[in-house]
Amino acid sequence: MFEKLETYLEEISHFLSGREEREEILSEIRSHILEKAEQEFGEATETTLSKVIAAYGPARRVAEKYLDGRPIIAPAFKRFLFRYTTLLFAFHFVLTVAAVVFKKSFLMFPIVYVPSMGPFEALFYLPMAFLFDLGVVTLVLYLITQSKKDVKLPWPRLSVDLDEVKVPTRTIGRIIGLVAMTALTGIALYFYIRYQTIFFVNLDFAHHRPIFTPEAGQWYSLILIGLWALSAISLAAKLVTSSPWVDAVEKALSLVLLGLAFRQPFDTALPVHLPEGLVRWINLSLTFTLLVICIFVAVDFIKALVRIGRRQLAK
Amino acid sequence: MDPEIRYFETEMNRGFLQILVLAMLEKDMYGYSMVRTVRDLGYEVEENTLYPLLRRLEKNGWVKSKWDVSEDRPRKFYGITDAGRGLRAELLNIWKKQDEILKHIMEEKSHV
Repeated sequence: MFEKLETYLEEISHFLSGREEREEILSEIRSHILEKAEQEFGEATETTLSKVIAAYGPARRVAEKYLDGRPIIAPAFKRFLFRYTTLLFAFHFVLTVAAVVFKKSFLMFPIVYVPSMGPFEALFYLPMAFLFDLGVVTLVLYLITQSKKDVKLPWPRLSVDLDEVKVPTRTIGRIIGLVAMTALTGIALYFYIRYQTIFFVNLDFAHHRPIFTPEAGQWYSLILIGLWALSAISLAAKLVTSSPWVDAVEKALSLVLLGLAFRQPFDTALPVHLPEGLVRWINLSLTFTLLVICIFVAVDFIKALVRIGRRQLAK
Repeated sequence: MDPEIRYFETEMNRGFLQILVLAMLEKDMYGYSMVRTVRDLGYEVEENTLYPLLRRLEKNGWVKSKWDVSEDRPRKFYGITDAGRGLRAELLNIWKKQDEILKHIMEEKSHV
């Protein structure tokens, strides 16, 4: 019994677990190593065996050569792991934001259940949701791989720019945008501090008349200032980094802020009494406008996530 | 050796090793004796690649094996089957054709 040889074979055995012919494989390797040590070094000792074992290769690599090289997910489907997980998670994320904002649960049998939760709980829920989405997509791709069928997986053609070459005109545009957004945010903040709103019917600030009730005015003003500030921070960040995370974080936070806008009912936001039909019409128009904006932001958010996924894949 | 060349050499060896093993096994041999024989001819075979290859060939019926326990150390001897001979003939034909194509192209280049 040579301790080093037995330890080595034990390691190989560990990586071969589950294979019927494991014992025979190990016997053959043992026989080879002992014979080589004797033939090439005169005798089999712990020292000579160490040399032969080192030349034979690490246990894991040796075991891998006996295992069938069938991948869990076929190489052609690997890119879809990122794509579909990103898409599913983006959908999950939007529903989570909606669940936090509207305090409602969402059930889409059998894969999505988003319970009503607070913002703090959402922070714990989202990583779990991501792992779940990754698991679901992996399972589907695994089953497709095992079926050995030539499945053509669908994917919409999104105009995602992976290379993101720094173009001088784009940088100048960003600088102008940054100055404009910073100025806008600063002015809005000034008005908010002074009048607790940034929405006015008239521009005569000595006798100013706000559009909304004080409570609604404060709420909408803070959301809009938040969106502008986010945009300014994002533009500033893009001047120093081309990371797609900047877009992803900006869009995610923007979605949260837009979602919060729904928490303030529109029909009680106006300080004057309007005919019921008109109030309903305003309510519908504002809801529709906000939803359209949300969809555009969500699409940008998904694009940013896809870009992150593609970058990881490219790496 | 340059790691890139080593990579290409490994890729080329993969196909060559299959023909080599099928060619050697006209006479029954065991793993280590095959490694030594090839080494004496100035070629190195990775031991940890040879045994899994022999196992795959055996699984497909191109090679057969039996353990010899008559000596102190048991040895597993391999020999070619009729199906293996057929495969070897096919592989040698392919290899010869590839060799001819390569020679033809290289000759053409030398004339340019």
